[in-house]
Amino acid sequence: MAIRKPELRGKPVVLSAKERNRVVITAASPEAEKEGLFPGMVVADARALLPELIVVEDKAGRETRLLQGLGEWCIRWTPVTAVDGAGGSDGAGGSGAGGSGGTGSPAASGTPGAPERPDGLILDVSGCAHLWGGEEPYLKEILRRLRAIGYHVRGAMADTMLAAWAVARYGKGYPIVAVDGQAAALGALPCQALRIEPATAERLQQLGLARIDQFISMPRGALRRRFGAHLLHRLDQALGNAEESLTPVCPVEAFTERLPCLEPIQTRTGIEIALQRLLNQLCGRLQQEGKGLRTAVFKGYRVDGKMESIGISTTRATHQANHLFALFEIRLATIEPALGIELFVLEAPKVEDAAAAQTTLWSGSAGLEDNGLAALLDRLAGKFGTGVIHRYLPEERYWPERSFREATDLREMPTTAWSTDRPRPIQLLPHPEPIQVTAPIPDYPPMLFRYKGVLHKTAKADGPERIEREWWTDPGPHRDYYTVEDEAGGRYWLFRSGHYRDDHSPQWFIHGFFA
Amino acid sequence: MQYAELQMTTNFSFLRGASHPEELVTRAAELGYTALAITDRNTLAGIVRAHVAAKACDTRPITTKARELRLIPACRLELLDGPALLAYPTDTEAYGRLSGLLTTGNLRAEKGQCSLYKNDIYASAKGIKFVVAPGPVLDERYTVKADFAAAVEEYRQAFGSELYLGASRGYRGDDAKQLYRLAELGKRLETPLLATNDIYYHAPDRRPLQDVLTCIREKCTIPNAGFRLFENAERYLKPIEEMHRLFRPYPDAIRRTLELAEACRFSLDSLQYVYPEELTTQGRTPQEELRHLAWEGAKSYYGQDIPAKVSQAIRHELAFIEERNYAPFFLTVYDLCRFAREQKILYQGRGSAANSTICYCLQITFVNPTKFDLLFERFMSAARNEPPDIDVDFEHERREEVIQYVYQKYGRDRAAIVATVTQLHYKGAVRDVGKAMGLSQDMLDHLSKARSETGEGWLEGKGFEAAGLNASDPMLRQVLALTTQLMGFPRQLGQHTGGFVITQKKLADLCPVLNARMEDRTNIEWNKDDIDALGIIKVDVLALGMLTCIRKAFALAREHYGMELTLANIPQDDPAVYEMISHADTIGVFQIESRAQQAMLPRLRPECFYDLVIEVAIVRPGPIQGDMVHPYLRRRNKEEPVEFPSKELEEILGRTLGVPLFQEQAMKIAIVAAGYTAAEADQLRRSMATFKAHGMISRHREKLVSGMVAKGYSEDYANRIFKQLEGFGSYGFPESHAVSFALLAYISAWLKRRLHDVFSCALLNSQPMGFYHADQLVTDAKRHGVTVRPIDVNFSQWDNTLEEKIDGVCAMRLGFRQVRGLGEDEVAPLLAARAPLEQERAIGECGSPQERIDARTGFSTVNELLDAGVTVSALEHLANADAFGSLGLDRRRALWEVSALKDHPIGVFAGQPSESAQEGEIALPAMPLPEQVTADYAATSLSLKAHPVSFFRATLDQLGIWPIERLRAGRDGEAVKVAGRVRVRQHPGTAKGVLFITIEDETGDANLVVFPNIFEKYRKPILQSTLLMVEGKLQVEGEVIHVLVKACHNLSSLFQQASLFGNARNFR
Repeated sequence: MAIRKPELRGKPVVLSAKERNRVVITAASPEAEKEGLFPGMVVADARALLPELIVVEDKAGRETRLLQGLGEWCIRWTPVTAVDGAGGSDGAGGSGAGGSGGTGSPAASGTPGAPERPDGLILDVSGCAHLWGGEEPYLKEILRRLRAIGYHVRGAMADTMLAAWAVARYGKGYPIVAVDGQAAALGALPCQALRIEPATAERLQQLGLARIDQFISMPRGALRRRFGAHLLHRLDQALGNAEESLTPVCPVEAFTERLPCLEPIQTRTGIEIALQRLLNQLCGRLQQEGKGLRTAVFKGYRVDGKMESIGISTTRATHQANHLFALFEIRLATIEPALGIELFVLEAPKVEDAAAAQTTLWSGSAGLEDNGLAALLDRLAGKFGTGVIHRYLPEERYWPERSFREATDLREMPTTAWSTDRPRPIQLLPHPEPIQVTAPIPDYPPMLFRYKGVLHKTAKADGPERIEREWWTDPGPHRDYYTVEDEAGGRYWLFRSGHYRDDHSPQWFIHGFFA
Repeated sequence: MQYAELQMTTNFSFLRGASHPEELVTRAAELGYTALAITDRNTLAGIVRAHVAAKACDTRPITTKARELRLIPACRLELLDGPALLAYPTDTEAYGRLSGLLTTGNLRAEKGQCSLYKNDIYASAKGIKFVVAPGPVLDERYTVKADFAAAVEEYRQAFGSELYLGASRGYRGDDAKQLYRLAELGKRLETPLLATNDIYYHAPDRRPLQDVLTCIREKCTIPNAGFRLFENAERYLKPIEEMHRLFRPYPDAIRRTLELAEACRFSLDSLQYVYPEELTTQGRTPQEELRHLAWEGAKSYYGQDIPAKVSQAIRHELAFIEERNYAPFFLTVYDLCRFAREQKILYQGRGSAANSTICYCLQITFVNPTKFDLLFERFMSAARNEPPDIDVDFEHERREEVIQYVYQKYGRDRAAIVATVTQLHYKGAVRDVGKAMGLSQDMLDHLSKARSETGEGWLEGKGFEAAGLNASDPMLRQVLALTTQLMGFPRQLGQHTGGFVITQKKLADLCPVLNARMEDRTNIEWNKDDIDALGIIKVDVLALGMLTCIRKAFALAREHYGMELTLANIPQDDPAVYEMISHADTIGVFQIESRAQQAMLPRLRPECFYDLVIEVAIVRPGPIQGDMVHPYLRRRNKEEPVEFPSKELEEILGRTLGVPLFQEQAMKIAIVAAGYTAAEADQLRRSMATFKAHGMISRHREKLVSGMVAKGYSEDYANRIFKQLEGFGSYGFPESHAVSFALLAYISAWLKRRLHDVFSCALLNSQPMGFYHADQLVTDAKRHGVTVRPIDVNFSQWDNTLEEKIDGVCAMRLGFRQVRGLGEDEVAPLLAARAPLEQERAIGECGSPQERIDARTGFSTVNELLDAGVTVSALEHLANADAFGSLGLDRRRALWEVSALKDHPIGVFAGQPSESAQEGEIALPAMPLPEQVTADYAATSLSLKAHPVSFFRATLDQLGIWPIERLRAGRDGEAVKVAGRVRVRQHPGTAKGVLFITIEDETGDANLVVFPNIFEKYRKPILQSTLLMVEGKLQVEGEVIHVLVKACHNLSSLFQQASLFGNARNFR
């Protein structure tokens, strides 16, 4: 948190989340903890203690994403890393990846907090440590690098995952547990270090068995009867008598394809072939992963060191190579090969999940679902620019300018129906334009109005429809709208801004045209 | 030009209307309206207020336009199977039918709902005029929707010419089309058009509030509310000329509003409230019956030789009651009290009724008229033309029996509880508004707290920076402005604490009845002020915890001391009791146990009963705010001469040494010295008390001060009196009320002084009540020489009990009720299994606990308890409470045993030794004493083993910290250091930001005074500490000792080191 936003550094910060009608702290910065705040505290109470406290709303999955990223980063140390607590680690005896004997697994973690949130990383370091000159320098190096980034990290290394977990969170001494030294290392730790359920831990504490060595050698029967099999299982895991598994992190690869050329390409045909090939590769991957692209960039690196690129975007996620090729084809002429292009790269920076991954041979659906429509729109946009095509969806607002919004995606569905119970023009001007009128007061439609120099005589009129502003953002006068038909049969949507008052007469505007 | 607005939605249509009924009426009066109808949705809850406001307009010369303004009681009927109808009863019978209709709908549905159908209306339509509520009725082709037209046709057939078609101009763009089509429809169905403006607020600037209300109702935020809001602000009360202009094409629609208003001459004033006539024996009239009972009662108190003062008072009161025909009312209250006596439910009448000798003779009150100067006029007087008010308190645990008796006796259609209109206060209002405006939860918390921390001026935008908010944020300003408007809005109809309205005929003829949230309760829609305004009498059946305690104490006294005590026969004027009270030794004593009272007692040193009456009345926000306490004390201690500004005031203020302490005195001053009429004085008191007095207060200030100056009092004195009055409005006591309370205070003090064991036990069994926690009560009992014994599965009952006497005082055995989380039903099997054993034990009665154990008359293993049917979780609770002492199991051992019970042999193996029995003996670590104390607190909120602070005495001594006890020996002004557990942190509203803290160590309690600047500086230790150490200056005033705090330190780490309260959440 403090790494992303340097201005928060050194200040008491807490993350908060709603829990049964109260807002509680989910995580506190060291500065905040020093002030006596702790996770689980109600934010309002914390505020009372520390008025200058900064409270940031927590988002679900924040830690998981962060740890996932860190886990990928840690692959430099070992091929097998895992996010602690994110599935899998509650292994019920299955043989996990690399879980054979002699496994060393350091666990890095933040402060020991609530046990149910992912808050640590597990690295399987079997056979890696000697590359850094032994276990101690290895662990030190990992921690040093993480701390250099700005994380508060604790780490430990042990033969079993649970022992490492325990020592990293609760240990006070040397963080590397000797081979088969788990029992000794765990003895002085509190019972929570066994990663048992809070209720069990509480019961153990009530009985005065707060430290692990106080019960580790008790008869198994007596423990099982009182605390269930889970405690024994955890003990076994810690001591290496039962297995624990982990789910390794696998990094996500970017959607990029490269095509180096043996000889520089200079011809359009060559470029087309390259594009076609890259598209086929990329679309194949997209299809496999159930994705579609919304934007793509095609780059050509020239022999002279310059780079040419063209980009396209689509109205819906697609992985149809033909269609994409057609979109690129429009722009292809802008690529100047000059002395030749030696490397082609195709990137898809914006990728979305695509439904119905199968490439259909015929399209049966109609309307917005019709693939042909999407393809047509893409081509039109490619030709005339993206600012030409608009799609509007209704919004539940009275104020005319806000009664619609522009859709960004062809699949976007309106949240409400277009309301039809009030007169609304077919064409709404982007901005109301002032007009001169002759109208009787206080709220009757104009008899005459002049728009763009042309005088219109009112033949028929209806109204007023009085629309107030959205007072919470926008103070100001209301509008009285009139539907007016002139003698030529043209129908207009006019409004007067505000009431007639003694000291001034309000301005009239034209805002749209009816069919 | 005339027009009557016949469709107004007030804020009694909850979360719809955005103006108070009073605001609408006042605005209408300003605009020159002569008739109005309030049409809230399926309710008549707001009409009485509007009615009262309309009547007030007659006499108030606000504008020259004002003529008589008449309120037509009416209602909007929302139907489940048809368009809504506005209903206007033309006469009393029709009103009764309308009210009955709503009652039917209410009782059919959950609280807050009303289910009505067309057929219900058709059945009770006689005498009621109907208007089809206007609304958008056109379809896409600009014709009237077919189902609407069909519904109107059906209504027309049912109601004939009593039906009108409502039309309003909402500036929706198609107004002209709507009106045209409606007129067409009206012509076809011979149902004339009637104009309304479908009002939701009295002025257009309430639109934002109305929008916010819509959001609260629809549970959305303002930006997302969309078409759920109204598109414009036209639903306000418009000038009559404007209405005429808007309906120019349809002048008849305007004229018909007057026609309908003229036809509805029914007014709430013509409601006839009839008190039930019954309750007589031997064919007497109620008055005869009352006379009979009064004299009988007097005889039972005084024998044949009734003192002249009493007999004279009875005759005087009887005459007055006869004149007003209040006898049935007295008989009703008498009947309730008789019922309670028969059921052995303790009760006491309070309030002004204690001024009545008859109430004493009927055993409604227990204030002996021969000992006090009772002024019957203060109870009821011809000048104050209002119904008598007799409040009766019953034991809080058994009041429901009395309530059900009332329902049973009169029937649900004749008796119901008065409503309480729950008003929105700052916190609720700012939360609702903030949520609608889309503020974050966190911000809402912040805002709702900020005001009490900042104090006055908050709503005007003061103190924003201090609260960490941006003062220029327009959104926040809007939120606060809207909050200000929303405060005081009714939010729901609750039930009054116990006020019953009972009628001779059907109650529903008077006012709609609805289901209360509590089962088996029904209440009416009107609140106390409403029924007062209409002259309806209510009977108050209230609850008081202290009565429960006293009843339990009486029972214990009978059982263990053979004393037959009643409220009336407690020895009066026991000097030892006053001695105890003067030393502020009053923990648990009714009313005078609070910190503020305890600080006052040694100064006032009550010596007789009347001193107690004053004591009860003086420590109230009213007298404190009015600055009456110190003058009284000075005069009482003869430091200041007792003077009266005039002879007439001496009569009023003589008893209280010239300082007004009671509400009646304040009102009398207004009458005597400022020329108020009695009714005006009462109105003054009421307007002071109401939550939002709409600028009435300044008008009264002018009137009172100028009135008193005119009579020759100094302006300064007049202003002081006004200030005192202001305090009284909401927080003062009437004298008679104080007398009743003082009586209970005396009785509980007597019990505490004479039978401390009995009193403590009864008090603990009546928890929660009073100011103190169970551990403080137990500590107090121990200090007074009561032996307190721990909870034990072999000896405890559910309640705390008294055991055999040691040196003449019973030992108290804590009961299972002290165990947190343990239910009464969970220990029932335990008690049942013990019962046979108890009988055995009875043979060897009076044996000490150990002897009984030796005689094997109890449980001896945990398994026996399980066999008896006690659940494992209950046993865990008991083990945590360390209740297995007599089995020789300490807490840990017991828990160890209990946690192995899951494999207890059952079925065919029952009785065989369980596997765990064969376990070798496993040594559990012994529990250090501090941890035991923590565990005691966690399980039972108290510990008999040691006081937590006592473990650190040596450390504290080293730091030069005094035991609290030693403060008594300190000198005034001496610098001291004390430390203790924080018990109470109090920010009384009357103390200008001063914080009072009570801390406690093993030797006693200390009261700390923290001024705001110190609080700011030591906010953290003060709010965080469980063990607080303070440095400060001793302030000794006789026996009253305070520590003026200079610095605070958090010593909670000591607790943590000793693993005391290590986990803050285990400890409260």
